[in-house]
Amino acid sequence: MLPVRDDNPQVDTPIATYTLIALNVLAWVFLQGLGDEQALRSSVQQFGLKPGELFAAEHYTGQWSELISSMFMHGSWMHIIGNMWFLWVFGDNIEDSMGPVRFVIFYLLSGLVAAAAQIFSGPSSMIPMVGASGAIGGVMGAYIVLYPKVKVHMLVFIMIFRVPAIAMLGYWIGVQVLGGVSSIGASGGGTAFWAHVGGFAAGAILVWFFKDEEMLLNHPYYGWKQKANPADIWKDPNNRQ
Amino acid sequence: MTDLLETAQVRAMYMSDTASVIEIISDHDEDDGDAAEAEFQDEGVEGQFVLVDNDTVLGITGYREVVNCDATFYLSWTYLDQQYRGRGLGKKMLGNVLDRLRDQDARKIFVKVSDYQQDGVNVYAAALSMYKSFGFKVEVVGEDFYDQGEAQTILGLEFKPQSDDVMVADEKPVIRFNGLFEIAETDGAYTFEWIVEKSAGFFGKRSFTPEDLEVGLRSVKEQGGRKIFLTFPSNLVLIHRPLQAVGFKYVGQLKDYYEEGLHESHFSHDLEGLGQT
Repeated sequence: MLPVRDDNPQVDTPIATYTLIALNVLAWVFLQGLGDEQALRSSVQQFGLKPGELFAAEHYTGQWSELISSMFMHGSWMHIIGNMWFLWVFGDNIEDSMGPVRFVIFYLLSGLVAAAAQIFSGPSSMIPMVGASGAIGGVMGAYIVLYPKVKVHMLVFIMIFRVPAIAMLGYWIGVQVLGGVSSIGASGGGTAFWAHVGGFAAGAILVWFFKDEEMLLNHPYYGWKQKANPADIWKDPNNRQ
Repeated sequence: MTDLLETAQVRAMYMSDTASVIEIISDHDEDDGDAAEAEFQDEGVEGQFVLVDNDTVLGITGYREVVNCDATFYLSWTYLDQQYRGRGLGKKMLGNVLDRLRDQDARKIFVKVSDYQQDGVNVYAAALSMYKSFGFKVEVVGEDFYDQGEAQTILGLEFKPQSDDVMVADEKPVIRFNGLFEIAETDGAYTFEWIVEKSAGFFGKRSFTPEDLEVGLRSVKEQGGRKIFLTFPSNLVLIHRPLQAVGFKYVGQLKDYYEEGLHESHFSHDLEGLGQT
């Protein structure tokens, strides 16, 4: 199940989204050797987020930069392609709602909350966590708040279905919560479900502070119902010559 | 007496016609005569035509293309020598020019008409009904435009049928006012100049606010202005709330002015009462 594209028009060139994608790809190429086994293992160890390392006093190494660097590392080709695909589809419209500078801050904050959620779910874990999914979860959380009704084109097997964002992203976050609940008590690697959930929740909340009403004014898919056109104020006889 | 309607010809105006043309215009309205002379000096006489009989100039008409629009024109100074009125010569002259525009793929033409009253008579009533007879329709009436009590009527004529279904995308440029001036041919009607700033929305940068407008309103009032007229393309969504907030009124729209589906919205503000809240 893959969102191919959305019906949401892009207003400005999403330079921040493109830049974030480029940084992830550059990290994959130059720091992770395009998935070369040895480069991958050492980069994940070096730049991945290891909660146990941050908090356990005996292991403390002061690598707080892992919080950011882990957001730009990935574990496999499928991992980076999937993440970048989601960022490509949903990032541009979120950037359109707040401008590129605010979008970058929003993205990093969502990633930090995602990391915090994952740390909270396993504070002593030494399994390195990598991936942009937490921050992209924030983008999806913002998307469900801003554009719940816009249609997303979903590729399911070989068929394309157009479903409202609320359904597609609601399904996605439901899967993450279920995955997170079922992973409680389990040990070992795999998907960082709680990072996805934390990032999504962070995005859904942060977007209220980051969105710019002026940039969203007259947006055809903003909110649940079509807002009145601002030009309609002139229909009031008091506002006419 | 020969039938002038048969013998009079419409030909392109030359600079050497200027004196006789200005005489005809000034005979109606001296201010218009001066304004027309200045315009011929500044912009030349391309697109201007005269009605002549032998070498006598009987009338003037013509058009100017509006820049940055899709084949939109304004009818320019259109006057007939007083002593030849009522013989169908005005129609002949105007019809000829409209045919020329039609042949060169014009899309729309507008004409501005005053409702100036002299001794209780609207001196442009005949012109107005002539325009209407050619299919021009009233689109915008700006009250008190030229002077208190003297309105400006803008009529439009479609050369090609314009569809009402064309949707033009909304735009939210960052607009800054960078000047104001008294509108030519008016007494106390002002407008603001504005530009579009680049890199809109980088930090969520704002287009003009009610406060920006109030600066302009006060400034016009100080200069003795009476009224402000502003025009904007119809697809700018951020302009409406600030304009309404400071008391601008909606005057009307010149339909399909910029291109099919993109109109020119007109707003006005009566400065009386400003600062007396």
